[in-house]
Amino acid sequence: VTLRRAALVLVLGAVWAVAAWLLWRSSLPAYHLPHLDERALFPARLLHRAQHFSSVGRLFWLGNTAVQLLVLGVYAHYGVRFTRESAAGPIGTGMLLGMLGFALVWAAQLPFAVLGVWGRHRYGMGGSYVQATIGNWLALAGTFLFLSLALAIVMGLARRVGRRWWLPAAPVFIGLAILFAFVTPWLLGGEPYNRPDVVARLERIEHVRHVPVRVLDAFDEPNAFATGLGASRRVFLWKPIVDPPFTPREDQFVLAHELGHLAHNHIWKSIGWYALFAFPGTYLLALLTRRRGGMGVPAAIPLAIFALVFLQLVQLPLQNVISRHLEAEADWSALRATHDPTAGRQLFQLFASETLEDPSPPWWDYVLLENHPTLLQRIEMTRYYATSAQSP
Amino acid sequence: MAMEAHEHPVRLIVEDDLRRNRWTVFFRLLLVIPHAIWFFLWTILIIVTAIANWVISLFTGRPPGGLHRFMCGYIRYQAHLTAYISLTGNPYPGFVGEEGEYPVDVALPAEPQQQRRWTILIRILLAIPALLVSAALAGSTGGSYSSGKGGKTRGGNGGGALLVVCAVLGWFASLARGRMPKGLRDAAAYSIGYSAQVTAYVLLVTDRYPNSDPTQMLAGVERPSRHPVRVVGDPYDLRRSRLTVFFRLLLTVPHIVWLLLWAIVAILASIAQWFVTLFRGTPAAGLHGFLTRYVRYRLHVYAYLLLVANPFPGFTGTEGTYPLDLEVDGPKRQNRWKTGFRIILAIPALLVSAALGGALFAAAVLTWFYGLVNGSAPWGLRNLSAYALRYDAQLFAYELLLTDAYPHASPLEGEDAPPE
Repeated sequence: VTLRRAALVLVLGAVWAVAAWLLWRSSLPAYHLPHLDERALFPARLLHRAQHFSSVGRLFWLGNTAVQLLVLGVYAHYGVRFTRESAAGPIGTGMLLGMLGFALVWAAQLPFAVLGVWGRHRYGMGGSYVQATIGNWLALAGTFLFLSLALAIVMGLARRVGRRWWLPAAPVFIGLAILFAFVTPWLLGGEPYNRPDVVARLERIEHVRHVPVRVLDAFDEPNAFATGLGASRRVFLWKPIVDPPFTPREDQFVLAHELGHLAHNHIWKSIGWYALFAFPGTYLLALLTRRRGGMGVPAAIPLAIFALVFLQLVQLPLQNVISRHLEAEADWSALRATHDPTAGRQLFQLFASETLEDPSPPWWDYVLLENHPTLLQRIEMTRYYATSAQSP
Repeated sequence: MAMEAHEHPVRLIVEDDLRRNRWTVFFRLLLVIPHAIWFFLWTILIIVTAIANWVISLFTGRPPGGLHRFMCGYIRYQAHLTAYISLTGNPYPGFVGEEGEYPVDVALPAEPQQQRRWTILIRILLAIPALLVSAALAGSTGGSYSSGKGGKTRGGNGGGALLVVCAVLGWFASLARGRMPKGLRDAAAYSIGYSAQVTAYVLLVTDRYPNSDPTQMLAGVERPSRHPVRVVGDPYDLRRSRLTVFFRLLLTVPHIVWLLLWAIVAILASIAQWFVTLFRGTPAAGLHGFLTRYVRYRLHVYAYLLLVANPFPGFTGTEGTYPLDLEVDGPKRQNRWKTGFRIILAIPALLVSAALGGALFAAAVLTWFYGLVNGSAPWGLRNLSAYALRYDAQLFAYELLLTDAYPHASPLEGEDAPPE
């Protein structure tokens, strides 16, 4: 039995590795980035401010994470007491316990959210206390809703299927991820981008068709993202990125980057990665909660939440590696589409001054927190492109 | 606890026989003009004397006897006048707030009581929660009718008050039938009684906090007959978890979404039920069961959201699973006329329900704060909320054809008919 199990694990591991290799493949060339000196690219004062601001941000992240783990750890031990506050049956009680766990985390993290806004204000950046508190509260309502749905699925399956609930649960969650990815773009709204000619030209180059570009007004940082599947594919630009000091040339680079995500099927690839993590993740969850009676029992929920958050933290470095890889491919795609490495460099330099992002953060920050290549790496890529044979 | 509530020094006395004179009903607002002027003057005098009373009481710990009696007369007069205007009482009231002379009266302490000085000092602040509930029930704690245009003593909540709705509906009903509907009369009397308790508290007649429990307020009033839709629950189920109270709104989000989804199906089912009931005269049993579950689930969710009950409810509306539960009689033959015009017939009840919704909301907000501090719900507010939820459930049951019995506005629970 042990041999057979080992063989099964080996086969599954091999399948996983092959799938991961297939997902990892990209249009990126085998490149070697030139080493640039950040002091030559950014003013010394800006570098100092960005490094200081980022270090404060890192401290907040560490505090937030520690508090989250602490609260959930304590909750995993004592949370079962709240079972008496429910008349909802096992699944409903599980939902309540799950929501209460996240409610406690929210309350414990609130000071960090407020301090974060205070810190941003100190550096002359935007940020709303209302958004960080009441807005956060509303976001918690969304979390509760998704959590309840997830727990209803997991607990329902666990009560029906038993210990192997994770086998049907993982496909259900993958299906839900596809559904959300498909539906989300239509829920976000936004105003049409005012330069359809640029979009049309980039679409031709990137081999994507009819991707609406929308501008979202609710954010105070320059950013953009691409989302959607098939007919719902959209690019969203956050308002600050279409306003000065960003120029139309830099916006074109941003658009090309986002269209690059769509052209290289990054949304589908992300779902693929999610699927690869979903099976072992749910299996581990099933394994960890067995001592509390399994996921069909409300008493296991506080522990399950702790385990889930811990597993997410553990897999963060790997997820960041994948995300950085996809972002690098989108950057490369933008360079090839625009043939404008200067715009790319200027864009990344502006990011540093506008968001005070550290161009070259410490290694542990890079491993745990950076889901994009660092600004310095991105500028190095523009230099590589400019000097390589790819450049016209 | 119940005994304590019995001993509230401000008690409502209702000896009204529900009969109304159509002529005086029709001209009620005109007839009240002399009283309105008189009440306005009296209110100005009360404001001045109340300040003097407050200062003296701060030093002596008890109001002077003369001022106490003056305040009592004002409170009684206010109750009589409000009862007359709102058709809670029929005879024309006297002008001095005579004790025991009006069918809707208020019994007050004969002599001034020793009171804690610190509560006297901050009495107005302490009264704010009660004033909010009173505003939702009676529109103000007094004086809103006589001096409305002047605005100085008006303290209402803008016409959503239960008393105002009862008065308007009662006016039409009394004109048509020569009788005030008992449900509306009881609801209006309850509002008047609570308002009198609040005024007595503010004017230092007593330092007992107003009690919004409907059963205690209408202790001497005959209970209505048993309704086919009943809310059952322990009125002393007051423990509340502080953590779930704090996050109550968010914790209810999954239920609200589920309730909305369920509502879509329930609306379709009720349309089907309407046709069935119209043609057969009796609702289909399957649909009746489904709609009963929906109404019960709705009650559970609202009870949880509005802090009338403590535990997180289930998602199925199963009977007997929640501390505040709904009992609904099985499908019975219904009057086809009532079925055909159900939506139109429900309009008056919708108005009452909306007015009670204001009180329910005020009670929920106050219970939230109270629950966070004390880990429990105030008994009076809990029972006021249960009353509002019961009416809402009866209304929904009526709209969804679970019964053709009209929602009963009386705050009192119905009782079984005595055995023959």
